[in-house]
Amino acid sequence: MAVIQVEDLSKVFQIPLKEPGLKGAVKALFAPKYEPRVAVDGVDFSVERGEVVGYIGVNGAGKSTTIKMLTGILLPSRGSVRVLGRDPHRERVANAREIGVVFGQRTQLWWDLAFIESLSLVARIYEVPKQRYAELLDQFSELLDLGELLHVPIRSMSLGQKMRAELAATLIHEPQVVYLDEPTIGLDLIVKDRIRGFIKEQNHAKGTTVILTTHDLGDIEELCQRVLMIDAGKIIYDGPISAIKDRFGKHRVINFETLQAASHLSLPAGAEVAGAEPGKLSVRFDRTRTTASQVAAALMSQVEVKDFSLSEPDLASIVKQIYGGALKDGMQ
Amino acid sequence: MTALWRSFRRSVDIYAALGAMAAKARLAYNWWVWADFVMTIVSMIVFVYFWRAVYAGTASLGGLALTQTITYILLARILAPLIETRMIFSFGYMIRTGQVAVEMTRPVDPQLRISVESLAEAGVFLVQRLPIFLIAWGFFGLALPADPALWVVFLVSLLLGLGVILLFDWCFACLAFYVTETWGLSVVRIAVAAFFGGTLVPLAMMPDWLQSLAVAMPFAQGLAVPISFLSGMASLADAPRVWLVQLAWIVGLLVASRLIFSVAVRKVTVQGG
Amino acid sequence: MTTILRYMDLYRYFVAQRFKILMEYRLNFYIGTISTAVQQAAALAAIWVVMRQVPSLNGWSFYEVLLVYGLLTMGESITHMFADNLWTVGWNYVRSGDFDRFLVRPIDPLFHLLADRFCQDGIGNFIAGAVLVGAAMQALGIAFTPLRIAYLLVTVISGGVIFIALNLLTATSVFWIMESIPVTQMVFTMNEFAKYPLSIYNAGIRILLTWIIPYGFVSFYPASYLLGRDVGPLAFLSPVVAGVALLISYRVWLFGLRHYSGTGS
Repeated sequence: MAVIQVEDLSKVFQIPLKEPGLKGAVKALFAPKYEPRVAVDGVDFSVERGEVVGYIGVNGAGKSTTIKMLTGILLPSRGSVRVLGRDPHRERVANAREIGVVFGQRTQLWWDLAFIESLSLVARIYEVPKQRYAELLDQFSELLDLGELLHVPIRSMSLGQKMRAELAATLIHEPQVVYLDEPTIGLDLIVKDRIRGFIKEQNHAKGTTVILTTHDLGDIEELCQRVLMIDAGKIIYDGPISAIKDRFGKHRVINFETLQAASHLSLPAGAEVAGAEPGKLSVRFDRTRTTASQVAAALMSQVEVKDFSLSEPDLASIVKQIYGGALKDGMQ
Repeated sequence: MTALWRSFRRSVDIYAALGAMAAKARLAYNWWVWADFVMTIVSMIVFVYFWRAVYAGTASLGGLALTQTITYILLARILAPLIETRMIFSFGYMIRTGQVAVEMTRPVDPQLRISVESLAEAGVFLVQRLPIFLIAWGFFGLALPADPALWVVFLVSLLLGLGVILLFDWCFACLAFYVTETWGLSVVRIAVAAFFGGTLVPLAMMPDWLQSLAVAMPFAQGLAVPISFLSGMASLADAPRVWLVQLAWIVGLLVASRLIFSVAVRKVTVQGG
Repeated sequence: MTTILRYMDLYRYFVAQRFKILMEYRLNFYIGTISTAVQQAAALAAIWVVMRQVPSLNGWSFYEVLLVYGLLTMGESITHMFADNLWTVGWNYVRSGDFDRFLVRPIDPLFHLLADRFCQDGIGNFIAGAVLVGAAMQALGIAFTPLRIAYLLVTVISGGVIFIALNLLTATSVFWIMESIPVTQMVFTMNEFAKYPLSIYNAGIRILLTWIIPYGFVSFYPASYLLGRDVGPLAFLSPVVAGVALLISYRVWLFGLRHYSGTGS
């Protein structure tokens, strides 16, 4: 049975219309007018146990609204959500026991309390058995290097320390489903690595299902086998990362360092100049229509080349393309 | 000579701008104004009924008649926020955010700046209080003198009284350099000032030993003294003497405040907050 | 039953953690506790100054007035201690989005909101009120019989519940207007009337404070009973009023929560 099952999920917000000025304010009080705004529009998907799903979309696409409905904070306007067989809104408490949520920059821990005290309060709230708590604390301390952090209050922690602490607190009750909203935002590479490693480890060891909302495509590449893309309230892509790369990653770019100016270049079919600067030239070519050696040979026969390099398409540019409508083109 | 005048004009402009900003900030809080309004009306009703019940058996208490007392108390309550300055909070905030160092490097003297801002806020406050004032006068038996001279004397005395309180609060606010629990301290300061400043009960009704204690403190100079002109407890003839006493307090507190502040600031700038 | 026990245990733990934070700033802790006591002292000193000149306030002697004042203070201190977060629910929780955290935790969000902040300042007030009540009863020669002590206990708890219920009712406005403090303030301020015997006011105010914003049941009616003044059945209605008020307020709170889940913040 799917851990998360979402069918025709929709959320329509009624935004109050306010006319400017005093008259408008009075009108708004006695005869309020509303304008519907569709944040999530008929979304369907299901997530199996142990999956790590990346949930991406531009700001305002409906990501956080979906997450709020999944976690039971928001009531859907239409459709159904089932998490571990429950309606997260109706069975709020039972659902809450099985989930963990990281809300990006907002910590769930108490600002002035030493971390270990915050952690034990959280463990109490979730009724984690004492023995198990001690075991997990040891495990997490090692995996996340929490040693010196234990007696530091959250207010004194750096961003990276805060996030490590946050993850420990989120997973201390061993939830079956974890929703991570921007867990690596603003962090340096080393901390990001550690956090990604921790998430991976928990997922492998316990089969924790993870929904990861992020703008950091490095997270997605490292952690997710599957990506859900939402735009304007609708799911526009749902599938493995490899498929995206294969389908949309057909372009490669060769960056040339040239010794002379290049003009009126003749390139093989499927290749085009992507960018030209004094001393530099980029050529983008379609892998399915020509090859790197053909392009390089063609160019080197016309221009003297000092150095060149071949770059892989990164997920970011692919995603950019998709937002730009490439998906619709690609689907044809 | 013109250079001096120009720099004076510039200072005035700067301080005026600062004052305007403070005034605008005060006006921004609309909901709060309403809540404040209701709270003041309620407390006025309570006071009027309370004092009427107190005076049920006698015609005069501490030498004051019912109408005098009611006028006095109502004015005291309406104007009370004027002397409940939040300077200690501003200090606490400045210290916590490290703004103190910035303040010391600005060309604007912090004491003067805060005083101007407080005065501007006071001005706005008085205007906001006008409707309550009218309600009190119309419905709660606020009996005001007709003689305009008394009003002028009152306003001058109020200005001086405000100065006394601001200077005292400057000294008091320096505690923020040593203690971070500014809310608790402010509660104590407001409570003590309300009692010994004669805004809870007219000073005339207090037993002698309490009265002498109150006179030794600056709080009475803030409101009780100016209000006494409007409630028939002081006459025009008393004005010069009263003003002189207030001025004496101002001078004394001015010296004390500069001294205390320079000592307190050292704690932050030398040792690092 | 186990849920109640569990919540009590959890509450104890919340308070313990809160004290750990407070003990970090020990001086602040003491100043906070003392400050409210000083505030009370000033108000009481004012009453004392006034009443030493007159035999009674509308037939109520100084110590009788003190009894009323003390009972109200105790009721107020209870909400101050246990439900202070009802004041800050808007700017500190809902506005910042931190309130959503309560909705993903497996405990009642109202419980979490209240447990998150036990306010030790209220302790000073509670003790002050208790001292007043004790001193007043002593001075008036009212003996502390077991029945009277039981009555006092019920009265004080009911008083606290009435305060909390009214604050809860007004705090629910946060789900509509994002900031509940002004609304709460306007209702809360009515308790000023109940500091003195309601008999000094006119009928309109008495009805307001008895049946609409029932602060009268925190202080006036129980005090009247203890002083042997006849107020009929009203002497025993405090716990009933408290219960009804809490029930209504909690229902409204749940309604507000539903609205919040429907519209988001």
